[in-house]
Amino acid sequence: MTTAGEAELREPSAWPENLARFAHILRHLGMRVSTAETMDGLRALQYVSLLDREQVRLALRAVMVKNRAERPIFDRVFDLYFAAPEEKAGRREQWRAERERRARELEEAEADLLSSVEASGQSWAERSRERLRLTEEQKQAWARLPEEEKRRLRELLARAQANPVNNPADLINRIIEGSLNFWHHHLMKQEQRREGGGARVAELTGDAEVDEVITQVAAQLDRDADESLLYRDMKEIGEGELARMSVLVRRLARQLVSRISRRYYRSHKRRVVDVRRTIRQNINYGGALFELRYRSRRITRPRLVLICDVSASMAPYARFVLQFVYGLAAVVRDIESFVFSEDLERITSYFGRGKGFAGTMARVMAESKQWGRATNLYRALVTFWAGYRHLLTRSTWVLVVSDTRTLAAEKAAAELGRMRGLVREIIWLNTLPKREWREHGTPVLFQKHCRMFECYTLAHLEKVLRTHIAWT
Amino acid sequence: MELTVRELHRALEAEGYICEDEVVLTMFLALKLQKPLLVEGAPGVGKTEIAKVLSRVFDTELIRLQCYEGLDENKALYEWNYQRQLLKIQILKESGCTDIEKDLFGEEYLLERPLLKAIRAERQVVLLIDEVDKTDQEFEAFLFEVLSDFQVSIPELGTIVARRIPIVVLTSNAERDLSDGLRRRCVFLFLDYPSVEKETRILQVKVPEAGPRLAREVAQAVHLVRTGLDLRKKPAIAETIDWARALVALQADGLGPEAVGRTLNVVLKNREDLETFHREMGVEGLVARLQDAAALPGRG
Repeated sequence: MTTAGEAELREPSAWPENLARFAHILRHLGMRVSTAETMDGLRALQYVSLLDREQVRLALRAVMVKNRAERPIFDRVFDLYFAAPEEKAGRREQWRAERERRARELEEAEADLLSSVEASGQSWAERSRERLRLTEEQKQAWARLPEEEKRRLRELLARAQANPVNNPADLINRIIEGSLNFWHHHLMKQEQRREGGGARVAELTGDAEVDEVITQVAAQLDRDADESLLYRDMKEIGEGELARMSVLVRRLARQLVSRISRRYYRSHKRRVVDVRRTIRQNINYGGALFELRYRSRRITRPRLVLICDVSASMAPYARFVLQFVYGLAAVVRDIESFVFSEDLERITSYFGRGKGFAGTMARVMAESKQWGRATNLYRALVTFWAGYRHLLTRSTWVLVVSDTRTLAAEKAAAELGRMRGLVREIIWLNTLPKREWREHGTPVLFQKHCRMFECYTLAHLEKVLRTHIAWT
Repeated sequence: MELTVRELHRALEAEGYICEDEVVLTMFLALKLQKPLLVEGAPGVGKTEIAKVLSRVFDTELIRLQCYEGLDENKALYEWNYQRQLLKIQILKESGCTDIEKDLFGEEYLLERPLLKAIRAERQVVLLIDEVDKTDQEFEAFLFEVLSDFQVSIPELGTIVARRIPIVVLTSNAERDLSDGLRRRCVFLFLDYPSVEKETRILQVKVPEAGPRLAREVAQAVHLVRTGLDLRKKPAIAETIDWARALVALQADGLGPEAVGRTLNVVLKNREDLETFHREMGVEGLVARLQDAAALPGRG
């Protein structure tokens, strides 16, 4: 077997540059590859046959990949980057042609939109045309906009009358931009739903050879079943993917618990001598401190209290919430689980050992009165306070899963503050996208009393675990 | 011992460790680059065995540091023998000696723990740092300092540099993320559960009396159980071996419903997993699937 790209690899002077570019691509796709690892890669290549593509792959993988999730990324980049020169040249040519086609498309879209502004015949049209600065996304949105929508926007422009006092060009431009932003977001979502793909955006470098690989691998990863599941809005995960989602959620729930308990158990390097026990132990030796006795750290298991919103606004996320509750209950024995909408209900008793997911959840849904109603977190917290106050101790972690949309939000926030004073930490997983938090207002209210994280994809949940709970 | 990838592969197999090229090459590179080998994977896929088999291949001592929450330098590196120091103080006091301190921190009062023992060893040893993900972050930081320089400082004795850099194998069940610093210092290997073919070969080496048919059926059955059920604890390779041994002891020549029913608790060891098995697959279901797999060779 021959090594693709072997011409470059056989030439020792080409190795450093080739590997540096290879590492650069990996970094742009989210892998943590430092210079030290690139140098290790160079050293590793000295011990394998460069004519054996598989050995080169394994050698580089051994030193550059540092966890399981990075393996598919590495393999895809390797396949594309160390391909035969003619294959690479063909791919690059294709990529360049595609980029040029897209650039032309965007230029045409911009020209079309500007001519629509001009064609409105309004007095502000010229000024609007001069001042309109469209982003790539906005041009793209116009290019892909259905003809019907384009016609509507043109009609709107034609109807917009000039204000005799103020020149409305800026206002009109803001309307155009806002409309295009909306359509960009909407069309992107539609595409994701159609293709079952994710929303991974890879940053490009400006180097055509490198960018071509980055773009292709990012697109491939989005098509990968598990990867796309991670990046997709959980409300859009279909029936057929529930089993995989269940496995992922369960794994993440286990990680979450392991992180929380670990943080809490953190030990001190130096042991503390227990003076009383040491003296008692050494009476036999005439009082000389011959055998030391140490104080053992009291290990108290953290108590987990899970409070999940199952109101109407959370209905699209019901599956996630259920999987999450079930996943946590499966890995933690002493978890207390609650659901709430208009009021709070304890569901811990449903999670008997050995019952399957479907059976448990069918029972919870049939017997609980909270599903799909309006949200009143304040009332739910008051009920919690009255009936379950004893669960709140310094070793309690409270996990709230909710979109923060609730009646009596200010009073609920005050209740949450009261709860915060008694527990170790409140973590809020918010299914509302972060960009909408300010607009809704309620997240800001609750953030004062908890650590709140955007969490509407499994990738969000994973990120929360990896970066926010692990090392803070 | 200087050896090639192929020689290492042969040596591992001779010691009963059946593995793919990827595992051998990664081990080989860790040896050549003199870097610790970080092996990650589910419990029971043969992570710890790598260190054991390396010690046998190189005919050297295996020093094991079993990690747990709260493990600290005293237990991993060194401690002073406090009792002996006290006795010495008493003796010297009675003999009227004044310069006591000089004698108290000598080699004879030093209790070597695994890390120091590996660093001070006369010949290259294999150091197994098992389940490193169970330690605290502070200890992990200390560990990667030791692993980068292979030297430690003991205030009373000075800096001790490794005579021979040990072969270091760290294992992790990935219960928590290890720090980037530690990962960067290691060569990484992920071990998954073996394929049916590989597990059959393992059984043929470890339980030759099972014969090729039973070995294949056991490996296939374990594969079906691992992949077809959402278990709390998937059967480890050791459990596959135990299952084959149990079947041999019962003189079963194949995996029929009766043989599976009588020996299932060798593979599934908690009530919940047994219930899941009976609910979602069942003895008859497993045997039927085994027959399907046998009819379609190469599946799994």
